[in-house]
Amino acid sequence: MTAFLDYFQFVLAPQMITGLSLGVAVVLVALGLTIIFGLLDVINMSHGEFYAVGAYLALSLGLSGVSFWLLLFIVPLAMVPVGYMVERGLIQRVFNKPDRHVTTLLLTFGLGLVMEEVLKVVFGPNTQRPPTPISGAMDLFGVILPNYRAFLIVVGLVIIGLVAIVLNKTRLGAVVRAAAFDRNMAASLGVPVTRVYALTFAFGVALAGLAGVLLAPVFSVFPTMGRDFVFLAFTVVIVGGMGSIAGTVVAGLLLTQVQAISSLIVSPVWSDPIVFGIMVLMLVIRPQGLFGRLGHA
Amino acid sequence: MRDSANIMKTETATDRLGLAMRASHVLVAVFVVAALAFAAIGSWSGDTFFLRLATEALIFAGFALSVDILLGYTGLLSLGQALYFGLGAYVSAVVLKEVPSFWAAMGAALVSALVIGFVTGLVANRVRGVYFALVTFGLAQVAAKAVYNTRSLGASDGLIGVPIVPIDIGVTTVMSNSPVGFFLFTLAFIVVLYAICAYLLDTPFGRVLVALRANEARVPFLGYSTRHARLAAYVLAAVIATLSGALYPMLRGFVSPELLFFSTSGNAVITVVLGGVGTLVGALYGGVILTILKSVVGSMTEHHLIVIGLLFMGTVIFLPKGLMGFVRPRVERLISGKSK
Repeated sequence: MTAFLDYFQFVLAPQMITGLSLGVAVVLVALGLTIIFGLLDVINMSHGEFYAVGAYLALSLGLSGVSFWLLLFIVPLAMVPVGYMVERGLIQRVFNKPDRHVTTLLLTFGLGLVMEEVLKVVFGPNTQRPPTPISGAMDLFGVILPNYRAFLIVVGLVIIGLVAIVLNKTRLGAVVRAAAFDRNMAASLGVPVTRVYALTFAFGVALAGLAGVLLAPVFSVFPTMGRDFVFLAFTVVIVGGMGSIAGTVVAGLLLTQVQAISSLIVSPVWSDPIVFGIMVLMLVIRPQGLFGRLGHA
Repeated sequence: MRDSANIMKTETATDRLGLAMRASHVLVAVFVVAALAFAAIGSWSGDTFFLRLATEALIFAGFALSVDILLGYTGLLSLGQALYFGLGAYVSAVVLKEVPSFWAAMGAALVSALVIGFVTGLVANRVRGVYFALVTFGLAQVAAKAVYNTRSLGASDGLIGVPIVPIDIGVTTVMSNSPVGFFLFTLAFIVVLYAICAYLLDTPFGRVLVALRANEARVPFLGYSTRHARLAAYVLAAVIATLSGALYPMLRGFVSPELLFFSTSGNAVITVVLGGVGTLVGALYGGVILTILKSVVGSMTEHHLIVIGLLFMGTVIFLPKGLMGFVRPRVERLISGKSK
C-alpha cells in the first residue's frame, strides 16, 4: 500500500499534472480549430503557425521589457486583425468554390508553410526560451507542483469556461451559433454573416496566439513548434467531434492523460502512436466524434 | 428526332473526356521528348548531379500521380500518401540488402502495397471529405513514428548501404548507379505507370470514379457499388505510390524515416496542385516544376519554401486547375482542329 502511495505521490500524480497542463494548453489551441470548423466549415491547417506567432510575439516583446501580464492581453488582441485579414483576404476568395473543404485546407496549408519559413527568417531556426514569469513550486498534499504549471491550469480552465459561456449563454454566442446552423436564415434575420465569419476566425486565431503566450515558458519557442503541436490539437478535435466545444475539452483532457500515463508504462516514444491510434479507431467507429457539432444541438 | 439529338449530345460528352485525355497523352509525349533531350545533353556533358536530381524528380512525379488519382478522380485529398511511398522505399531497401535483385524488390513492394493498401483502404474509406484527409494523415503519422522508433529498421538514421542493383529488362541490363541509364529507366517506368492509370481511368471503372466525384449519392442508384470503386481507386493509388517509392533506395542508396513524414505527403499535394489536379500529366510537370523551383530558388536562399508556399497559395486562388488547366485546353483545341 505504501509502495503504491509512494508511486502515486512521486510518479503518477506529477505525471498526471504535467499531462493536465498540456491538456489545458491543447484544448486552448483545439478550441480555436473547432470553433472555426463549426462555423466556417474550414479546416485551418495554419492554426499551429498562429500559435507559434503568438509565442514568438510574447518572446520578442518580453525581451524588450513588456511584462508577461500585459502580453496575455496584447498578443491575442494583436492576432485579431491578422486573423480578420486572413479570413477576408484569403479564405473568402475560395470560400464559395464547390469543393470548399479541400480548397480551404490546401490554402491554409500553404499559408502555414509560408508563415513557418517567415518565422525562421525573422527569428532564426534556434530554440529559445523566455523566462518563467512565476517561479517556485508548491506542495499540494505532498505532490510537488511548479507554480507556473498551476497558474497555467487555472488560467486555461478559466478561459475555456469563458469561451463556453460566451458561446452558449450570450447574445453574441447565439448569433455565432445561428450563423453556424443556417447561414442564409441568419443573414435574412439581420445577422452580418460575413463579419461574424471573419471575427470568429480572428477569435480562433487569437486563442491560438494566447496559447502560444502561455506555453512559451514551458515548451520553449522554435519555428516548427506549431506543426508539432497542432497535430495533437487536430487529434483532439477529431476525437471530440469537429465543431463541438464540450467534445474538445473532454477529448483534450482525456487524450493528454492517456499520453501521460501510457508513457509510464511503455516507452514515451510510443505515446504519440497510441494517441493517433485512438484517433483512427474513433474515426472508424464513430466518425462524428464524441459530441455533436456547433450549432447543431 | 429528339432521340438522335440526345445521342449526338452523349457522343460529344464522351468525346470531351476522351479529348482531354488525348491532350494529356500529347503532353506526356512532349514531356518524354524533353526528358530524352535532357538525357542526351546530360550524357554528352558527362553530368551526374543534374541527371540524378532529374531522376529523383521523376520518382516524386510518379508518387504525385497517386495523389492525383485520389484527389483528381475520387475527390478525396490524402494527406498521408507518404505512408505508401515510404513503404515502397523501405521494403525495397530491406529486400535489396538481402537479395540484390530488382524484380524481387519490386515484387515485394507490389505485394506489400496490395496488402497494406487494402487493409488501410478499408479503414480510410469509411469516412469522406475532411475526415478522409485527417485519417490518412493519422495513418501515415502512426507508420512514421513506428518506423522512427524501430531499431531493426534503422530508427531515426534509416537504412544505409543499399547495394547497386543490375536491372534486367530483357533487351539490356541497366545498372542503378548509371546516371543516364537509371534516368531513362525511371522515365520509362513512370510513363508506364501513367499509361496504366490512364488506361484504367478510361475503362468503365474510371467512369464510375468520375461519377463518384460528381455526385456520390447518385452512383448507387445507377447500379454501381461506390465502396468497391473507392477501394479500388485507393489500392491503385497505394500501388503507384509504393512502386515509385521502391525506386528511391536504388537511386540514393539509403532510406530515411523522413520519406514517411508529412512533408513528403505535402510535397506530393503541392506537386499535383501546381501541375493540375485530375489531369495525370499534371503530376509529371508539377514534379519537374517543384524540383526546379527547389534547386533554383534554393540556390539563392535557403528559405525557398516561402516562394513555393506563396506560389502554391496563388495557384489555389487564381489557377485552381494548375498549370495544366491553362495548357491543356489549348492542346485540346490544337488536336480537335487537326482532326477536323
